[in-house]
Amino acid sequence: MKKILAIILALTMIAALCACGGGAPAASGSAGSGGSASSGSGQAGSSGGELAGTYDITVWCPDNEVELRKAMIEEFNKTNTDGIVFNATVENVGEGEAATQLITDVEAGADLYNFASDQFARLVQANALAKLGSKAAEIVKEGNSPAAVDAVTIGGEMYAYPLTDNGFFMYYDKSVIPEDAVGSMDKIIEACEAAQKYLAFDVGSGWYLSAYFFGAGCVSQWSTDAEGHWNVNDDFNSDKGLIAMKGLNKLQASPFFLSKSGAAEFDAGAAVVMSGLWDAGAAKDILGDNLGAAPLPSFTVDGKDYQLKPFMGYKFIGVKTQTDAVKAAALHRLAQYLTSEEAQLQRFEAVTWAPVNVNAAAADAVKANPVIAADMLQQQCCTAQGQVNDGWWNLAAALSATAKESGDEAAYKAALQTYADGLEKLKNLREGLIFVGAWNGWNNADEADTYILTGDGDVKSLTIEVPESDYMGGRIVNIGSWETGMGAAQVKTGADLIDVAAGGDDNNIVFVNPGTYTVSIDTASGEISITAG
Amino acid sequence: MNETLEKRHMGLRASRAISNTIIYVILIVMSVIWLFPFVCIVLQSFRVESTWQVGYVIPQKWGWDNYVALWNSDFKRWYLNTFVIALVVAALQTVIVLCMSYTLSRFRFKMRAGLMRFMLILGMFPGMLTMIILYRVLKDLGLTQANAVPGLILVYVASSGMGYYVSKGFFDTLPKSLDEAARVDGATRAQVLTKIILPLAKPIVIYTILTAFMGPWGDFVFARYVSFGTSAGMNVAVGMWNWLTPDMINQRYTMFCAGGVIVAIPVAILFMCLQKYYVEGVTGGAVKG
Amino acid sequence: MKKYSDLEFLRLSKSEKFFYKLASFFTSIPRAVARFFVGIWNFIVKKIFGTIASEIADVFLTFKNGDWKTRGSYLVMGLGLIARGQVLRGLLFLLFEIVFIFYMITTGGYWMSMLGTLGRVGPHEEYNEILDAYTTVYGDNSFKILLYGVLTIFFIVAFIYTWRLNIKQSKIAQEYEEHGRKLKSGRDDLRALVDEQFYKTLLALPLLGILIFTVMPIVFMILVAFTNYDGTHDGFNNALFTWVGWKNFGTMLSWEGGGNVYSAAFGEVLTWTLIWAFFATFTNYFLGMFVAMMINKKGIRFKKGWRTILVLTIAIPQFISLLYVSKMFAKNGIINGLLLNWGWIDQAIDFWGSTAHNALLPRIMVIVVNIWIGIPYLMLIATGILMNIPADLYESSRIDGANAWQQYTKITLPYMLFITGPYLLTSFTGNMNNFNVIYLLTGGAPVNPAASSAAGSVGYTDLLITWLFKITTGAGAQYYMASVIGILVFVVIAVISLIVYNVLPSIKNEEDFQ
Repeated sequence: MKKILAIILALTMIAALCACGGGAPAASGSAGSGGSASSGSGQAGSSGGELAGTYDITVWCPDNEVELRKAMIEEFNKTNTDGIVFNATVENVGEGEAATQLITDVEAGADLYNFASDQFARLVQANALAKLGSKAAEIVKEGNSPAAVDAVTIGGEMYAYPLTDNGFFMYYDKSVIPEDAVGSMDKIIEACEAAQKYLAFDVGSGWYLSAYFFGAGCVSQWSTDAEGHWNVNDDFNSDKGLIAMKGLNKLQASPFFLSKSGAAEFDAGAAVVMSGLWDAGAAKDILGDNLGAAPLPSFTVDGKDYQLKPFMGYKFIGVKTQTDAVKAAALHRLAQYLTSEEAQLQRFEAVTWAPVNVNAAAADAVKANPVIAADMLQQQCCTAQGQVNDGWWNLAAALSATAKESGDEAAYKAALQTYADGLEKLKNLREGLIFVGAWNGWNNADEADTYILTGDGDVKSLTIEVPESDYMGGRIVNIGSWETGMGAAQVKTGADLIDVAAGGDDNNIVFVNPGTYTVSIDTASGEISITAG
Repeated sequence: MNETLEKRHMGLRASRAISNTIIYVILIVMSVIWLFPFVCIVLQSFRVESTWQVGYVIPQKWGWDNYVALWNSDFKRWYLNTFVIALVVAALQTVIVLCMSYTLSRFRFKMRAGLMRFMLILGMFPGMLTMIILYRVLKDLGLTQANAVPGLILVYVASSGMGYYVSKGFFDTLPKSLDEAARVDGATRAQVLTKIILPLAKPIVIYTILTAFMGPWGDFVFARYVSFGTSAGMNVAVGMWNWLTPDMINQRYTMFCAGGVIVAIPVAILFMCLQKYYVEGVTGGAVKG
Repeated sequence: MKKYSDLEFLRLSKSEKFFYKLASFFTSIPRAVARFFVGIWNFIVKKIFGTIASEIADVFLTFKNGDWKTRGSYLVMGLGLIARGQVLRGLLFLLFEIVFIFYMITTGGYWMSMLGTLGRVGPHEEYNEILDAYTTVYGDNSFKILLYGVLTIFFIVAFIYTWRLNIKQSKIAQEYEEHGRKLKSGRDDLRALVDEQFYKTLLALPLLGILIFTVMPIVFMILVAFTNYDGTHDGFNNALFTWVGWKNFGTMLSWEGGGNVYSAAFGEVLTWTLIWAFFATFTNYFLGMFVAMMINKKGIRFKKGWRTILVLTIAIPQFISLLYVSKMFAKNGIINGLLLNWGWIDQAIDFWGSTAHNALLPRIMVIVVNIWIGIPYLMLIATGILMNIPADLYESSRIDGANAWQQYTKITLPYMLFITGPYLLTSFTGNMNNFNVIYLLTGGAPVNPAASSAAGSVGYTDLLITWLFKITTGAGAQYYMASVIGILVFVVIAVISLIVYNVLPSIKNEEDFQ
């Protein structure tokens, strides 16, 4: 009788298997099913022929753009000369959500979607963005500023179409802040205090806070190499960083300072809010004609003025990787249309998004809008936001708390040192060989930067400074592991410089004398050589 | 003698009065804390002067604007989706859970103990990661995005057998002599279940239906995977979750409150009506399981 | 430790008794664990190997003693049964065999052949010059290979089992025939399914569902821990993934040196998870009991009203109540707004903590909000149990002069603890995996500045389960690490449950409750 249960179980399973497993081996997409190699009149976009057809596509864009996007695609269907007709389903999926979804499952994602610059690297890595062809790349280069072009380029290849910028500037209440105070943080704070109104600047977030550091002349640029390893060029931990810390202290010392952002603060008694274009409508609703907008002011430390320079990111339209070249080409046409000068102006009219297309940005209508004009001015004075390690935001945010609590230079230096140590930790979270020395307490995460073995090919090497200490030993390991296979026993050259017996069970390389040594390992053979100096 | 006793009584009464007063104070304070968020949510849903978070409870201008905005959004579709899911799951899950729990309570077969132990161990694995796999399976079956509703129903119902604990605890409390008497009278096992046990099991049946019905209203993690950016396949939790993301909260905060009220009212009313059975379920079954 | 006999034990003072009990509790833990492993070992060696050996022997013997009908069943399943008149059973066997062979030839074989490497050809890019468009040509799909490979293995195991069953059935049928006894007809089989064998009918569907939608994903999840499935190897779109052995466990658990990002984070998150589970369980337990006792106290009116108010938090879906509460306590939320308006504070309180400097406050906040969610549930349970305590116990204790506190510690609490022992355990493990409360309230914030983004930017209120989720949606989308954490969560919960089950006396015998 058991068998009946077994059989029912099994049969149902078959059904399930057949249903899902069906044609699966053939799952690999059939590329270029359309007439990709057909005739070809040479110039894409000139004639119609090869792209004509109806395409079912999905499009993701943020809530406030959905209606406009639908209308624009309709318009494209009517006006394009290639005979392309898109049957588009437009869904409300915000920029951040789009990337998270796509990384889970690229296949199911939209064919065309909006995303912000902070998601760019992830999406390229996930192979969720179709590379721009050479002609498409030309179009982008012609229409956009070099900064915007840089922002869509990784490894010399371009992947998306700039749509709008994504930065912040200053909204203020004209009835509180006099016109001549707008350029200076000190004067703005004075005006606020006089009127018992608040100044909202969310320095608890790394994105806002960094304006002070960039203003003081610091840099912080993250990049990844071909293997996805992080690198950072950052000098917050410097005299310039100290200036920023002092500026932050001054700002937060005011009893009328609020560490917040968002136009809603105007409702809660604020006269100044640092925020972006997304708040334009709400700010207008609350302040009406009193709404003023300007680029961020400068701050004053020890009698010198420093212009605040906020991060400026971009929002893009990307085309998902396609298997069919014809559809891909058609989608690129649509993306080009949606980011064209006319479309950006149209979008500016409808949802007040700032254009990034150089021609659109120069249009009179755009310049006439005070909020957009402020944003445009801010574009002239900003720090382009490239890739940023996710952990950096909070690392940077922590600085504002120190600047608030203390006016002491030593405390700032300590906080900046903690920050710099944090950077090292962030960027060193990766695979690779390191030399761990016992003289630093075996703590390979804290000290790893000085001991990373580098080199092309199989041979990796590094130069280490071995200080005088009780135990001048260490060995080579993979980051995060604690293996003992790369130590004294593997040393072939330079064995006279070390005390093999002292290495013990851990197979440590114990130097006889302190000094500078070059250690190299041939990862193919596992042989280690040590030379002095 | 009598006097002292009376005094003691009076003392007792006085101390009781004091302790009761303290208890009333505590209970009133607790009720205020418990009700405060819900009162806020209702009041904010009628606020029309602004759509973001504000620092006061009572709206300056009252109106139905947020509910009208809900009506004009995809909320209707999400609500319908969730309602359908909840209804179907309530029916099917109840059948599955009752089959499972009745069998494990009443039959003694070879694999029984092993099966229960196996399911106990299975329950110790965190289900978070398996969602990605289930999503892929549903995708291959074509039950994601616009077809998310049947997909979600399938997954909810199929894995519901694991939740047999509470109702097994209940069946354990029904005397076995009932079954045996009926069997002696010539009833088959199936007849025993339908004719004898089920009528007695009304509280637990209602408890199971109630919890099964309430579950789908709150799922947002898995439902978000399955709907995958397709509004037509979302449930209320996924759709409304997006409204409180930093991008949208300033435009949709009061709409979220209105949506919350619309979702909460029927579920809460149903719960309150059937509260008696719910209490029987948790105290009877949950503790013994 | 000195072991006391019963008599000696009774002679001990109260505190000595307590410490003796405590000590014997802890000394019994290693023994309980050891017993568990011995149990598993015995199970594997005796039960599984023993069974397999005897099954194989029986297969050979049956072939040796079988007639042509039985022997034929070795190749054509169900032959012996059909030939002897049990047509229904036989046909089902045959059908199963046909479907199995068909499946293996058409697709199953492919999945099995790829399972060793999880695919051979990855995707590559092509450029179409005429159309000026890049396209991707996809290769194998590691995810599907692993998924359907696992399903195919399930299927093969089911087939072997069915094949063995078919032989056993044939043997029995042959024996019946030899002894001239009547075989069960198809009609008998069907009738049995609603009678003696009714449990099979009842269990078939639920168990099938559990097998495909619970067991299979868990097996898959465990296997992922041995691969390099992550954002850069998603198995189809950018690169294939493959087996890496125990490497991921090594990355997670290399404790020495403290240099590893994962092991350090794991230690911290586990500690907080246990602290959270402890407080979340016991604050709710005692406060819930306390509230129940208050409401049930003689002379308190509107009992039903109080209960109904509290129960609102159960009735309203958590995604509304918790999400709303999290926004209420936000920096620009209504609580801060009210406090500012009333002038109680002059600056918004950062309840959920945006920096690591005030990690304690969000931790306290999640526990407090969890009390708000949890008390009503406990109150309901406690109410039910407290009503069952015989009233004369209290009567007689009062006559003996016991005060309310003594009544509580001597009667109420022991009774509650005895009845709710198993509940406390499940609630503790449930809280360890309480995704909703943490995710909806804080999302794990504030982020630990030392935490790596690759490791999911773990935060101070993150539990293992939310950390696991963050890893899958984080920068690196390291599914393999999430899977390792999942397995470790299982181990932790299993060990805790094991200890408690072995030490807790009241829950061993389920029949006691009937």
